[in-house]
Amino acid sequence: MTAAVLPVWWDDAADGPTNMAADELLADEAARHGGLVIRIYSWSKPSVSLGAFQPLAEADACAAIAGLPLVRRPSGGGAIVHGTDLTYAAAVPKTHPWGATPQALYDAMHTAMVAVLAANGMPARLHQAAATDPPADAFLCFARRSAGDLVAPWAGGHAAVGDPKIMGSAQRRLGTTVLQHGSLLLAANRAVGEEARLPGLAELLGRDDAWEPRQIAAPWLDAIARTVGAAIDHQPGALCRGRESTIDAHARRFRDRQWTARR
Amino acid sequence: MAADLKFAKTHEWIRPEAGGLATVGISAYAVEALTDLVFMQLPPVGKKVKAGESIGEIESVKAVSDMYAPVSGEIVEVNATLPNQLETLGKDPYGAGWIVRIKPDDPAELANLLDRPAYEALVKS
Repeated sequence: MTAAVLPVWWDDAADGPTNMAADELLADEAARHGGLVIRIYSWSKPSVSLGAFQPLAEADACAAIAGLPLVRRPSGGGAIVHGTDLTYAAAVPKTHPWGATPQALYDAMHTAMVAVLAANGMPARLHQAAATDPPADAFLCFARRSAGDLVAPWAGGHAAVGDPKIMGSAQRRLGTTVLQHGSLLLAANRAVGEEARLPGLAELLGRDDAWEPRQIAAPWLDAIARTVGAAIDHQPGALCRGRESTIDAHARRFRDRQWTARR
Repeated sequence: MAADLKFAKTHEWIRPEAGGLATVGISAYAVEALTDLVFMQLPPVGKKVKAGESIGEIESVKAVSDMYAPVSGEIVEVNATLPNQLETLGKDPYGAGWIVRIKPDDPAELANLLDRPAYEALVKS
């Protein structure tokens, strides 16, 4: 680990296409910086982000998300309903130790969260793949399990399906950089129909109020910075600010029906 | 691994064939690094590509990766059965796991690619 600085952007709430466009710029920033960069952001209204190759028909058939704005991510994985989660994007050059394989960056981001959640009373852990795992192609990300997902115990859970997943991530591996999207479910999302609503940290801890994303993101970023031996460099202004025309140009692709309906 | 293969730094291999065509696939290293492949999208036959441009995408449980053209040219054939038999990529990445056949615009571009020892050194670095 050689990067002495970890640039971090805190962005204002935006719609799905704008967020996806900003993340593409984040990957460019990783190439320019030559190391890990992270963007923390939120969504202007509850929204669904669909994995790069999830069939759109599956979204159309999911009554629990009917009517929510939908954007297709460039990254893989399952659908996420945003709005009560901590959403992040991280990017590294492939030459970075965390860029060499998909699992490396995945584990790094999730391992840093384990310590933060433990300090807040939640004994989360990295999931180890098991024969009892739900299907890898379940529509919702948080209904899937794969090695390295963050899971946590829940008194209200069912032993047959194991501990609930509370954090998942997925990547787009570009030519020279890796862009990783991830989400920590802070609370069950009431924009989702009850039949598909999954518990978040608030439900697992029996709290009436959910944490604000920043309450978890700040110590999480500190943990990551310690791991890479870097000082966090909070970027002045949001990544989107001052680059509106570039963001708009990128966002057009994510608004295009052809992109959304590519599969 | 056959000695006549050349490699791109982005982990695609290319093998010149008779008739001025070349076969393209992805290396065993790349397949192993991706793990648990679930989906592949191939390019349309007839597509013209520049070296370094995407010729398709491959998804594993955790990641989507572009596959890049090692040389410029026209896609003349795709391995249409491969997306339904992704395990072939792991079993025989340099044979039955081929991905596309390309008609290179300029065979001299092959000289820009890595030979096997250089590629092996790259993945070990």
